[in-house]
Amino acid sequence: MLNAPSTDELKDIHHKMVVTRELEEVLGAYAKEGKTRGPIHRCDGQEAVGVAACAALRVDDYVCTTHRGHHVYVGKGLTARGIVAEIFGRETGYCKGRGGHMLLGDVKTGMLGGNAIVGAGIPAATGMALSMQILKQDRVSMVVFGDGAAQTGICHEAMNIAGLWKLPVIFVLENNQYGLTVRQEVQSPVEDLSIRAAGYAMPGEIVDGNDAEAVYRAVAAAAERARRGEGPSLIEAKTYRVKGFSTSDMGGYQSEEEMAPWLDRDPIKLSAEKLVALVGADTVAAIEAAARAEVAQAFETALSDPFPTFEIHAPSAAYSETK
Amino acid sequence: MTLMRYAEALNAALREEMQRDASVFLFGEDIGRYGGVFKVSKDLRDEFGDARVRDTPISEQALTAMAVTAAMSGTRPVLEIMYADFLPLSLDALVNQASVFTYLWEGQVDIPFVLRTQGGGGVGTGAQHAKSLDAMVCHIPGIKVVAPATPADAKGLLKSAIRDRQPVVFLEHKLLYNTRGEVPDGDEVLVPIGKAKTVVEGKHVSIFASSKMVIEAENAARLLAKDGIEAEVIDLRTLRPLDLDAIRQSIAKTNHAVVVNEGWTFCGYASELSATIMEHCFDDLDAPVARVAMPDMAIPYSEPLEMAVLPNAVKIAAAAKKALA
Amino acid sequence: MATPITAGAVAGEYMETLVIVEWRVGVGDTVAEGDVLLTIETAKAAVDIEAPCAGVVSAIFAEADSEVPAAAVLCLIGTDSSDVDYDGGETPTVESGLSSAPATVAVAAGGAAEAPRAAVTSGRVLASPAARRAASSAGIDLRAVRASSPSGRIKLRDVAEASQRAPLFAVQAPVDLPADEHGPLKVHRSGTASGTPVFLIHGFASDSLSWYPLDRHLAKNHAVYRLDLPNHGASPKRQVGSFANLVREVREAFDALDLDGAHVIGHSLGGALALALADTRPRKVASLALFAPGGLGPRVNGDFIGGIARASRPGSLEAWLKVMVHDQKLIDPAFVNAAFAARADAELRAAQSHMGETLFADGTQSFDLAAALQRLECPTRIVWGRRDRVLDWRGALQAPGQVGLHLLPDVGHVPQLEAPDLSLGIVTALIKSV
Repeated sequence: MLNAPSTDELKDIHHKMVVTRELEEVLGAYAKEGKTRGPIHRCDGQEAVGVAACAALRVDDYVCTTHRGHHVYVGKGLTARGIVAEIFGRETGYCKGRGGHMLLGDVKTGMLGGNAIVGAGIPAATGMALSMQILKQDRVSMVVFGDGAAQTGICHEAMNIAGLWKLPVIFVLENNQYGLTVRQEVQSPVEDLSIRAAGYAMPGEIVDGNDAEAVYRAVAAAAERARRGEGPSLIEAKTYRVKGFSTSDMGGYQSEEEMAPWLDRDPIKLSAEKLVALVGADTVAAIEAAARAEVAQAFETALSDPFPTFEIHAPSAAYSETK
Repeated sequence: MTLMRYAEALNAALREEMQRDASVFLFGEDIGRYGGVFKVSKDLRDEFGDARVRDTPISEQALTAMAVTAAMSGTRPVLEIMYADFLPLSLDALVNQASVFTYLWEGQVDIPFVLRTQGGGGVGTGAQHAKSLDAMVCHIPGIKVVAPATPADAKGLLKSAIRDRQPVVFLEHKLLYNTRGEVPDGDEVLVPIGKAKTVVEGKHVSIFASSKMVIEAENAARLLAKDGIEAEVIDLRTLRPLDLDAIRQSIAKTNHAVVVNEGWTFCGYASELSATIMEHCFDDLDAPVARVAMPDMAIPYSEPLEMAVLPNAVKIAAAAKKALA
Repeated sequence: MATPITAGAVAGEYMETLVIVEWRVGVGDTVAEGDVLLTIETAKAAVDIEAPCAGVVSAIFAEADSEVPAAAVLCLIGTDSSDVDYDGGETPTVESGLSSAPATVAVAAGGAAEAPRAAVTSGRVLASPAARRAASSAGIDLRAVRASSPSGRIKLRDVAEASQRAPLFAVQAPVDLPADEHGPLKVHRSGTASGTPVFLIHGFASDSLSWYPLDRHLAKNHAVYRLDLPNHGASPKRQVGSFANLVREVREAFDALDLDGAHVIGHSLGGALALALADTRPRKVASLALFAPGGLGPRVNGDFIGGIARASRPGSLEAWLKVMVHDQKLIDPAFVNAAFAARADAELRAAQSHMGETLFADGTQSFDLAAALQRLECPTRIVWGRRDRVLDWRGALQAPGQVGLHLLPDVGHVPQLEAPDLSLGIVTALIKSV
């Protein structure tokens, strides 16, 4: 099948989805005990979107994501240990504790950041693509953004420019149905946001966001197109946010009836079924056990890592005039 | 030395830096085929092509945000925002993106982009096209802000700004574009960011100004000289980071300070200068720091009304005299 | 343009208000430079405010007995009685750049004058940071520095000027004695025109203003004449040579007034002089009140005489002022300020130092008036504090029987300041008894 992931890639995707899920669950447990700082925005049930989309890219391609981006972090190759250390504010975190879980970035792996200003990732990836085009590189950039971000003005501006200049950018609209507490139909007059692509002269496609392989194939195709110089694509991955907005969310607006079919179609469950058929249950169990062990080890190490020491403004010269 | 207009000096800086470094590119509204509404990018599209000199849609928010991440990704974008009055549209990119990631990702990324814009009143452009929002951008940590007053500084500072590792907001003034001045020849003549310049030496009162207000301050010094007052005029050139040494040295000599800025008074750039002087030069002050800035109001259109609100040489001289009384 | 008159540095650093005691002039009066315009009261001191220039009193802003802010403009001296414009007299306008209306901006562009600071003053000396630093490093007390700025704020130039006018004693060569000035001694007149005359002679290193606690009451019923001794107050500075010469000068000033039966009151050195005056003009002196008088024994606190005459800073003056009194709280900053303001002139201090050395050589009162005391014919009272640390109060004990003695417990060298009501009562009773 065109742009289909290899078995090894599917194993890697499954491994990273389980790492992400385990990360979310352990973080959730720590949050419940009051041991985390600030809100945590879990992406349980959306792992396939971030992990599989990143799996379809090269290491030197750039991605950026939202405040709910753990799947993208893990998908682009960041280690659980560095992520956990950042979330717990340690010196060994990806940003030495300066960023936290929403603003984490790691240039080496091409992960140019979570972003907590809704919509900000869209022009960000577009700007990266502009550089790639000007430097005549065959790299691409990708943004994973939500249905809430799709309603911002800057989304329109950025997509218009991307379509106009045929920039090598992939817009992955992770439609988890909710902008904070407000359902998508209360935020937009259209159900399928991908139809907006037509207005920017780019292809728009809907995929099952809980099907890792479907996400991978769509992104791989968009990346090829972008590398050929044919411009951006919009991929709307339909999924569902099963754990509320954040650890500070009081809930009460997502019904069990609404959630049940999505839980039933859990992306890790779907991925495991597919993988068992390909490599057998033992291998899948081993992948999952390794992933859980990796996360457990990450927490154990990171939590004993040192905190950073504060240095005012160093070494960014423009921060301070004081001599 | 070559006699050049301010706009020509900027044009020369852009051309030289684009020739020197293929990663430098320009984008903004009307800057390509038309050469910019103030002709700063005149003829550059012809020389460098429309990939590196791009006309853009009217999308200041996205353009500024794109400049930030383009800069993170290997190029040196120079973005033109046509009027400083449109800077509020750029603010998320400056406040929540550029300035944040210079610190959070310290050492991982450089963000070498230049946002050029022009502000200032005096020609009847009205309340939405005549403001000086220096304070608004100077408020943001991690961003450098320069505001040259002369063609030589315009060229030398723009070249420095393009080569800088960090975001630089480059503030021009619509009434300066046609001013002429001697500009040193040579591709490598740079003016360092963060260095002020004494443009008139004096011993009685220090006047700190930038951009077009330097010219007003120089005229004020001439007015004051008629009364035997020797004013010192310091062209700050860079608004952030401030050249504290130059400020300290001048006030140690004159003991009197007049701070001038064309922006609004309340929480304005002049206020920041005043507070800085208070903190660092308090014991040298022989009078309260005098602020000369725009009244806190929308800039009116009609000529006598607009002229009444703009800071000028007469107001600066009056403030200096009051400080010296 | 009229000259605004304020209390200036006399109103002290800690003073918020002052009381107008008496106006010596009225609107329309022509005054010469140096003429006394009014007397004000600051804390426990009375101070005469003199005209800094000649002219016509064109306005008076505060009535007698009223309390006004320390920095208030008290009156104006103009070229004529209609000249009432002065710097700082305009209504304050909105400052440049701060206006919300263009119309006022245009006005402000011309430079709005700063209003007199009277209404907002905290009583603290207003001085720029640079002036404070300069004054501090030069050892100059800002309370003695006059502000030349219309803002009322002492600036660097004022400190520079003050440092030339009154250089720090310790770091500068001793001031040469001024050339002898000629002319009669200054006699300040206040009170009623017709009442029995009272003639007051102050002590060493003091001046006629020190009589304020008595003068303010006596002036209600008497014509009060307050003498400034040579080298003191507004009198000429000249070498006195000897106590006998000083007595002659005082007598000449007294004779020139041609008073008939004056009540003479003297303090300390002034007490000795009053005694000598009464001894030589027995028929002209109706009664004699001697407050801690000199000349009744050789002992005198020589350190005090030298120290108070030389004190070139409020701090050092304060130390010696405190020697004068028993209750140290009386010497508060406002009092020191007022006392120092009268002594800011370095030449005056030099002349007094010289005079002190002449009269009290070797820390001794070389003049002896014990015999004169015995010869007194007029009703006489001696008022002395038993805690006097300048002169020995036991000198009073040699007084003959007809002299009344008031030896006050817990009072020092200045009974009229330390126990004003009692002192006044004694004087009033004495005068009535005549």
